[in-house]
Amino acid sequence: MKKFQDRIGLSMPGLLFGVFLLLLPWFPPFNKEYILRWLIAALIVGASAIAFDFSGGFIAVINFGFMGFFGLGAYTSALLAIRFHLSPWLTIFIGALSPAILGLLSGLVSLRLRGMMILCFTWFVGLALMGLATKLVFLTRGSLGLPCPTLYKTASNVPYYYTILGMMFVTYLVMKLVIQSHYGLAFRAIGQNMEAARTSGINPLKFRVVNFILACAFAGWIGGFYAHYYGVLTPDLMSTAKTTEVLVIAYIGGRGSLWGGAVAAVPFVFAMEVIRSVLSDMPGLNLIIYGLFLIFVMLYYPGGLAEGYRKIVAKLRVKEIAQH
Amino acid sequence: MICGGLSNVGEAIVMEPVIVRFFRWLKSSAGITILVTLVIAAYAAMDQGAYVIINILVTGGMWALMAMGLTLMFGVMNISNFAHGEYFMIGTLVAYYVFTPLHQHLESHPNHLLTLVAPVIAVFSAFVVGGMSGILTDRLVFYPLRKRSKENWLMNCFLLTLGISVILINAHQLIFGTQYKGIVRYWPLPPVSLFGVYISIDRLFASVLAIVTIAIFWVFMKYTKVGQALRAVSQDETGALMVGISVDNIQLLAMIMSCALAAMAGGSLLFMYPSYPTVGLEPLYNSWFVIIIVGFGNIAGAAAGGFMIALLQILTRVYVGEGWEYVIPVLLIALVLIVKPNGLFGSKVRGIWEK
Amino acid sequence: MLEVNNLNTCYDFLHVLWDVSLVINEGEYVCLIGPNGAGKSTVLKSIAGLIEIKSGEIFFKGISIGDKKGDQICRMGISLVSEEMNLFTGMTVMENLSMGAYTIRGKKKKEALMNFVFELFPRLAERRIQLAGTLSGGERKMLAIGRSLMSDPSLLLVDEPSLGLAPRVVDTVFQALEVLNKKGVTIFLVEQNVTKTLQVVDRGYVLERGKIVLEGSRVELSRNEHIRKIYLGV
Repeated sequence: MKKFQDRIGLSMPGLLFGVFLLLLPWFPPFNKEYILRWLIAALIVGASAIAFDFSGGFIAVINFGFMGFFGLGAYTSALLAIRFHLSPWLTIFIGALSPAILGLLSGLVSLRLRGMMILCFTWFVGLALMGLATKLVFLTRGSLGLPCPTLYKTASNVPYYYTILGMMFVTYLVMKLVIQSHYGLAFRAIGQNMEAARTSGINPLKFRVVNFILACAFAGWIGGFYAHYYGVLTPDLMSTAKTTEVLVIAYIGGRGSLWGGAVAAVPFVFAMEVIRSVLSDMPGLNLIIYGLFLIFVMLYYPGGLAEGYRKIVAKLRVKEIAQH
Repeated sequence: MICGGLSNVGEAIVMEPVIVRFFRWLKSSAGITILVTLVIAAYAAMDQGAYVIINILVTGGMWALMAMGLTLMFGVMNISNFAHGEYFMIGTLVAYYVFTPLHQHLESHPNHLLTLVAPVIAVFSAFVVGGMSGILTDRLVFYPLRKRSKENWLMNCFLLTLGISVILINAHQLIFGTQYKGIVRYWPLPPVSLFGVYISIDRLFASVLAIVTIAIFWVFMKYTKVGQALRAVSQDETGALMVGISVDNIQLLAMIMSCALAAMAGGSLLFMYPSYPTVGLEPLYNSWFVIIIVGFGNIAGAAAGGFMIALLQILTRVYVGEGWEYVIPVLLIALVLIVKPNGLFGSKVRGIWEK
Repeated sequence: MLEVNNLNTCYDFLHVLWDVSLVINEGEYVCLIGPNGAGKSTVLKSIAGLIEIKSGEIFFKGISIGDKKGDQICRMGISLVSEEMNLFTGMTVMENLSMGAYTIRGKKKKEALMNFVFELFPRLAERRIQLAGTLSGGERKMLAIGRSLMSDPSLLLVDEPSLGLAPRVVDTVFQALEVLNKKGVTIFLVEQNVTKTLQVVDRGYVLERGKIVLEGSRVELSRNEHIRKIYLGV
């Protein structure tokens, strides 16, 4: 058990955070339905940030079309559920396949691109997906919105809360296990210096494609949940602004940490929602605060939460050693 | 000394006939692309009428200005600016708030001279305010980061520009609201006839302004001392410092020029793009399309690429349908990237953008 | 002319230079030798203002330049030929040279300087319209030195001119440096090739692990037991 705990990198604070999230919906004011909705929105972003960090933080490929893949999963799942009357529980898994396949293709063709170019390439893929969702009206109803069946028949948000919490945990677990295996080392090597990794016998094609497939599949999976939670899909979901939101959360959490995004998302997205509803007569103010916060973090704490945590742990260790 | 005789070898290379060099250039991928673009444009003009060409000149010129600014900023400061569209937005906003009062004043006190000059004042103030917002951005955001650490610069700057973009878009929404702030036209004059097509003065002005600015910009970069210093900083920052160029000032200048060009593009296209919070998205996409299609750090390429993107979009709109102009070009550009990872005009020199 | 007192320089946490002090007089040809990683290049970069110094003072012609930036120091008449050369690879040889004269006002002076550089390195005159990125290693080194000369420096800092060059090209470079010194340019040379260096310089310093361990005239250094054993291998 201890060994497994080490492997998935679940430390004491991590466990506490998990328990905290599990108990959260039972304490006022968090047991109110509208607050639960905000928490679910936060968890969706948190889970997406984990999947985003899986490529961004390890193979150093910023998937700037992330929400395109997310939306592709959402639309696929919704359309399957509508057209073939399949259970949404089944379609969110099938729906994850289409972004996985697109991820495979993008991974294959993007091998010759690097850095900024690959960022733009994924961005364009995301924009193209958004454009298709807008223009293929016969399929997606375009910007009118595509209504789709929900996961549960109840009006309560509690089951959804636990579902997305579980999905976030599964995302984290799978990605952490992959990172802890020899794949993780290869990912980091490719991220640091692709040529050097190639000369030491790592096949960048294989690892990049594997990374892309996994990250995109999870993006699509979470997208499926999004579709069957909100019950309506619009192409706006894939916009660059939404990708920015996920990206910012992942970076505030700390690049290359996986957990950082999840931990940052809960308080941060929640606070944004609170600000938005409290200051509803000043539209846009919450996003201005958000932008200022991002600039502040990038200027003064570029390592994000994860680095702060590492520093605190290191200091505690030093104290411990000093006491002995 | 001996060098007198030998230096003739150098001159011999200069004397290579222009026509030979031209044909060699024509065989490069840049040459082929431009040739194909011209042929397609000519075909479209014959098929659909000459207004296609005018539209390409109007919008393409502006995308070229924006893409040149983007390239300049990337080259000199290594910032990939995803807030570039917001400077376009600032331009439209400033032009609107300068032009509308003037216009109202003119309705009660007709004045021929002012009628002619008012739009120019509006566009010029957009240019100036754009430049000032560039100074502010540099001093408030990028200058502190430069002083702090250069580590992971490219990525941090990318995120910072995203933050700037979010702030500017929402500040617009908060202060000026989401409604369209646009004008019908700048000049209340009848359109002029050119090659059998009627062009409004606004469009004519926008295209002439773009072409003149591109020409001035090119001369500035090629022949002035400051322009050379800009190129020097973009090629080697340490080297520039070593020869006595004040890199801080040059970088500030690049930022000013880049933002001012974007704002000027916004100001002169106000009649097509009314000001609203996310008006900058479309120009942002377009200028990034240009950068990707021609490759990073190629200012002349960026100028040509602006027209190519405009052509591509106009053709899509004409032959495929309204609203597809962001889908088809994107797919085409993705294909171009697969075939030519450094862009169509990209050089083989590896640069910082690959990190 | 140049006086460095108790210079300390750090890269983040790594303390590289420890209380380095040295003096260079007008018209001298001084070298700084030492093993790899001793911090020789760091000394030059600190003087040229390319990296911030942690503590210590640097005086040039009696003016403190420790807190000045690279471009201001260049304007004062110190020019650095760095190890990686920092050429403008997308510009021609001529353009690189005229960028070198960025701080010089007056066309005539620029032309005179350029002629002087072409006289010193006839190879550059042959390649004047070639892009700097397409030059060979030796030509690049010549261009780097030439570009530094274009700012008409009174002190020339040269970092490892022989690195990665064929022996014949090394000779050319060293000859050029000697010509310059004869013309009155003070030269501060960092070099790995100790045998060759000790044949040409007036004086030298030895830097080991970030500290000056030895200084003396050419003759003193050549006779020194430590130098003979470690650097000359005799």
